[in-house]
Amino acid sequence: MHYDIRRGIKAPLGPTPQGAPLKTPAVETVALLGNDYPNVVFDLRVKEGDAVRAGQTLCVDRRRPEICFVAAASGHVSQIKLGPRRRLEMLEITGAGDDAVTFAKDDLRKLLLKAGAWPSFRTRPFGLIPDPTATPAAIFVTATNPTPQAPDPHRVLTTQTVNFERGVAALLQLTTGPVFVCQRKGAPLLPPRDRLKIVTFSGPYPSGNAGPQIHRLMPVSRHRMVCDIGYQDVVAIGHLLASAQIKTTRFVSVSGASKAEAVTVPLGAKLSEVVGGMNHFDPDNLLSGSRLAGQKSLYLRRRDLQISALETDGARRPFWQRILEALPAVPTGATLPTEAFERAFPFAILPVPLMRALAVGDVETAERLGCLDLIEEDMAPLTRLCPSGCDYGHLLRHTLNQILSEGVA
Amino acid sequence: MINGAPLHWDAHRVSATTFAALLLPAITTVILRGPEMLAPVAIGLGLGLLWSFVFSVLRKSTFQWHSLISALIFVLLLPVATPVWQLVISLSFGLVFGDLIFGGRGRGFLNAAVVGLAFLLFSFPETEPESVAPQVAIAAGLASVLLLAYGVLSWRIVAAFGLCIAVLVPFLPASADLQNLQSATVILGLVFLIGDPVAGASTHLGRWLYGALAAALVILLGQAGTGIGSLSSVVFAALLASIFAPLLDQIAVYANVRRRAKRQRYEP
Repeated sequence: MHYDIRRGIKAPLGPTPQGAPLKTPAVETVALLGNDYPNVVFDLRVKEGDAVRAGQTLCVDRRRPEICFVAAASGHVSQIKLGPRRRLEMLEITGAGDDAVTFAKDDLRKLLLKAGAWPSFRTRPFGLIPDPTATPAAIFVTATNPTPQAPDPHRVLTTQTVNFERGVAALLQLTTGPVFVCQRKGAPLLPPRDRLKIVTFSGPYPSGNAGPQIHRLMPVSRHRMVCDIGYQDVVAIGHLLASAQIKTTRFVSVSGASKAEAVTVPLGAKLSEVVGGMNHFDPDNLLSGSRLAGQKSLYLRRRDLQISALETDGARRPFWQRILEALPAVPTGATLPTEAFERAFPFAILPVPLMRALAVGDVETAERLGCLDLIEEDMAPLTRLCPSGCDYGHLLRHTLNQILSEGVA
Repeated sequence: MINGAPLHWDAHRVSATTFAALLLPAITTVILRGPEMLAPVAIGLGLGLLWSFVFSVLRKSTFQWHSLISALIFVLLLPVATPVWQLVISLSFGLVFGDLIFGGRGRGFLNAAVVGLAFLLFSFPETEPESVAPQVAIAAGLASVLLLAYGVLSWRIVAAFGLCIAVLVPFLPASADLQNLQSATVILGLVFLIGDPVAGASTHLGRWLYGALAAALVILLGQAGTGIGSLSSVVFAALLASIFAPLLDQIAVYANVRRRAKRQRYEP
């Protein structure tokens, strides 16, 4: 099955890391970021200064204590930062060494929960960590790079095929429905079987995100929940099942305006340490994620496989763009319902009515318009294009939480 | 700013793009009509600045540059013989009650220039409408390319407008002067009044319906009253179509909700 998604943001974003030699920068600091897991209240199991081993439980979800969040590196807990309402904002581990926890053989679900692999699943609707007992209607493996600057899944998986196959086999045990492996055009990453389906997607950003893919293959509702998971997290599950230890590293790309690199770094790596040995990137000006959807962050966010380095020179931008940028920016305003929103929004959902419903907090209308199909990352193109300066991801989260608090039938 | 990535569009940047598009027809008009055009342009821009300033002080909000654009469109479409006091009153009415009183650009549902022109044509019907020079039509057509490229002007509205006119023309009596449908008034009105994203529909289906409705109204009002392609037919067509735009959007929403409900039952 092939889907060509034409709507999206088409922009030349610089060189791609394809063909760049794989580097392993020395990263000593990694962090667990609270914002990667919306709505989770963390119960800490360690305190500052504790020595931890890779795979050791750092904290659990207070409402569902079976769900563990584990250390991605061994070392000691160097910093715990709490945010508003004393919610965990960031837990930083510093140190080196390859001391790792070995997990006992167990039931698949229990092993995934204990080894911290469960939070790599994300439900749709609502974009949360699934319940430990939940059986999704389908599981989507996102093996499509969101922009060409992200690592090419075909290249990453050439050395990891066995673990990927083992991971996908485990996913098939977690659902009674299909497992979709969504990939770019090319050789199939896996031979399809009865419940294992290979689907190819082409198109500009955000066609590589799980949202537009799920929207086409299996639209969700209050009564149908599906999960998505990144392809490298599937490899990590395969690695866990084979070696009983967690896979701490991910294959990530670093791209700037003139150069792109391929690196392997631990989960939650400190970005400035990743680019420390590369002179052509500015360590103070890094995004976790792509240039189009990335966020300023000190650490690699949980689902990002891409680091973007921004540069400050404006010499190569077209003249008219520099004129527009010289205009004073408006902090807030009203939206202008131009056609640009539809061009960038690859869902069968009407963007402007939805944006209006979200902005005024009309939960019922937002649900009728299809907000359950969406999570924060799907709203990034609209946030980028909307002149009002609203963060629609934020507004969507607020609306989704309201639907949750009123009870899902 | 991100190199190579598309701009983050804020209200000023959209206004600046519209202004750039408007400059071409504005300059053409000034060249064609000569110095007599300079006074109305200056008065119009002055009024735009004044009312924006007054409202930014009263509301303690950001300055709305878009009033300048509304004023410029208003002056371009204004009959030449209009006395200055009529210009001042109707433009002020348009800017204040069409735009600023709602809180500025994007918060109202009408185009300020349309409201001002409608006020003028209602209150002073003796004003002799005069067609804008045909060169301006070419300039407006070129300007629309810029707006179409950035999605500020919807090609769906333009296409629906053209298609609807093509469908309706055979039904017109043979005596009708069809040349006027390509006049500068109609083209300027289509690009800057009917095609204004704030005044128009905000969904794809809504835009098709909205463009068709506007075209039908232009022909109907022109045929019934002041002649096809006349200023008043375009202005009142734009006004009525914008009032109906939210209804057309609701039709699009119902169609979309039904379509997605069908997809929910689909199992791959």
